[in-house]
Amino acid sequence: MIGLTPERIAQELQSFNARLTQGARTLHGLGEIETGVSPRDAIHREDKLTLYRYRPRVEKPHPVPLLIVYALVNRPYMMDLQEDRSMIRSLLDAGLDVYLIDWGYPDAADRTLSLADYIQRYMGHCVDALRERCGQDAINLLGVCQGGTLSLCFSSLYPEKIRNLTVMVTPVDFHTPDNLLTHLIRHVNVDLLVDTLGNLPGQLLNFTFLSLSPFRLTGQKYVDLIDILDDAQALKNFLRMEKWIFDSPDQAGEAFRQFAKDFFQQNKLVRGETSIGDRRVDLANVTMPVLNVYATQDHLVPPAASKALAECCGSRDYMEFSFQGGHIGIYVSARAQREVSPTVATWLLAR
Amino acid sequence: MADQTSTTEPGMFDVERLLKQARTYLAFGEQIRQFTEQSPGVGSQPIDWDTALRQHFDRFKAMVARSTADSNIHPDLTRLWTLTLESWQQAASSLGISAIAPLAGQNADTWQAYQQVQGEYLELLRQSAVAALDLMEQRLHERAASGETSGSLRELFNLWVDCNEETYGRMLRGAEYSELSGRLLNALLGCCARGETAR
Repeated sequence: MIGLTPERIAQELQSFNARLTQGARTLHGLGEIETGVSPRDAIHREDKLTLYRYRPRVEKPHPVPLLIVYALVNRPYMMDLQEDRSMIRSLLDAGLDVYLIDWGYPDAADRTLSLADYIQRYMGHCVDALRERCGQDAINLLGVCQGGTLSLCFSSLYPEKIRNLTVMVTPVDFHTPDNLLTHLIRHVNVDLLVDTLGNLPGQLLNFTFLSLSPFRLTGQKYVDLIDILDDAQALKNFLRMEKWIFDSPDQAGEAFRQFAKDFFQQNKLVRGETSIGDRRVDLANVTMPVLNVYATQDHLVPPAASKALAECCGSRDYMEFSFQGGHIGIYVSARAQREVSPTVATWLLAR
Repeated sequence: MADQTSTTEPGMFDVERLLKQARTYLAFGEQIRQFTEQSPGVGSQPIDWDTALRQHFDRFKAMVARSTADSNIHPDLTRLWTLTLESWQQAASSLGISAIAPLAGQNADTWQAYQQVQGEYLELLRQSAVAALDLMEQRLHERAASGETSGSLRELFNLWVDCNEETYGRMLRGAEYSELSGRLLNALLGCCARGETAR
């Protein structure tokens, strides 16, 4: 039985209302919300892209630079969200020399950018800039989510330029039965989408992500927010995450067309049938040491989609790390700070 | 070339999202309050529990059915189960597609075709919402059978969310949803292709 009386419910609703009113005042007085907390310097720019170097936190960082390649969807400050939730800060503390590609916000002028532009041109120029800057033949690469897929393509095409490859929550086999994004895009006419809209609007992508769990992500979350409306710090943390969730850049049309059709709909990567520019991507060419980090409760990139890499990459030094959490928790949860960054840093420093 | 950290004003946060859900929660609370009021003694006497619960959930399901035809019947309560559609319509309106009527320059036939698919989508969501109410009713019966009580309105709301996520998740993973959601986007694009879009 419910065990509630009308009076008790009325009381609870009254209290809810009071907290909401009080919370509006807290919200108003919060000041600026910072996202991206570690100091950094832009060292290279090309079109919308900026390559950043994070200021080292040790006197003599590791000589081989680590380049982080984030997804084209969403913004990379998730890797450096706040001081106590920053994978980048942990990697800096471990003595690594950390760089990051910020893809920027594509606009109408970018609709013809292809995956070849992103992988061979933009990533290629960043990798070469770091090789030259640091005097290294090969650098370390860390690809995150879709950025991991791009990094696999790059490493397959230019294995001599990559010393170690880490991929995090990265889809490789897009046709595992539990892949919801593939399920949702299966019947979409991608050509009509790109031909009609040019770039893919971030808001459409955002709808797709939120529609995977709408009652929690667009309903319950805001009801729960009432509980922390009087806690300025907790509220700031919430707002940082909220900003990130809705900060969805549009996707360059041609690059999206190829990614959606070749990777999601036709699963060409795992079959060795993807071409970037005029070159075929063969994951057997990924012969450098590989660390594959996946999340056991990832609702966007199921573990099986990531673990497929073990079967098709050519590395003899392949290792997996299984994180007990989800696709977002792997960057920002307390457990991730304790487990993921130290694992990546230790693995890299040993190679 | 030192780079500033990115900042944003709290005003960037869409407070309306919070307020909408707060209103929805209050509407949910009002439903439960009515139930406890109209079922005297259900808090302490298990005698009329089954009947009272069934009657209340039947009313709730009838309301869901009515709101499919007219979302203005009880907008805050309707939002409980049309969150996905609302997000979709926001995304569609960012492309210049109105949920109410074709805009000037838009082909009425393609707009109507889109509306028809959107109606099918809404019907699928309605089925999931009704299934969630069935599931919640079942869970409450199970709780009653084991003598378990709900200590707060929020706990009931969370149960309601869990039930909806469960039935919605089943629907989402089904072939019908995959096909229909693809068709919905394709139909929307049909409107854009033949009319004026915002982009």
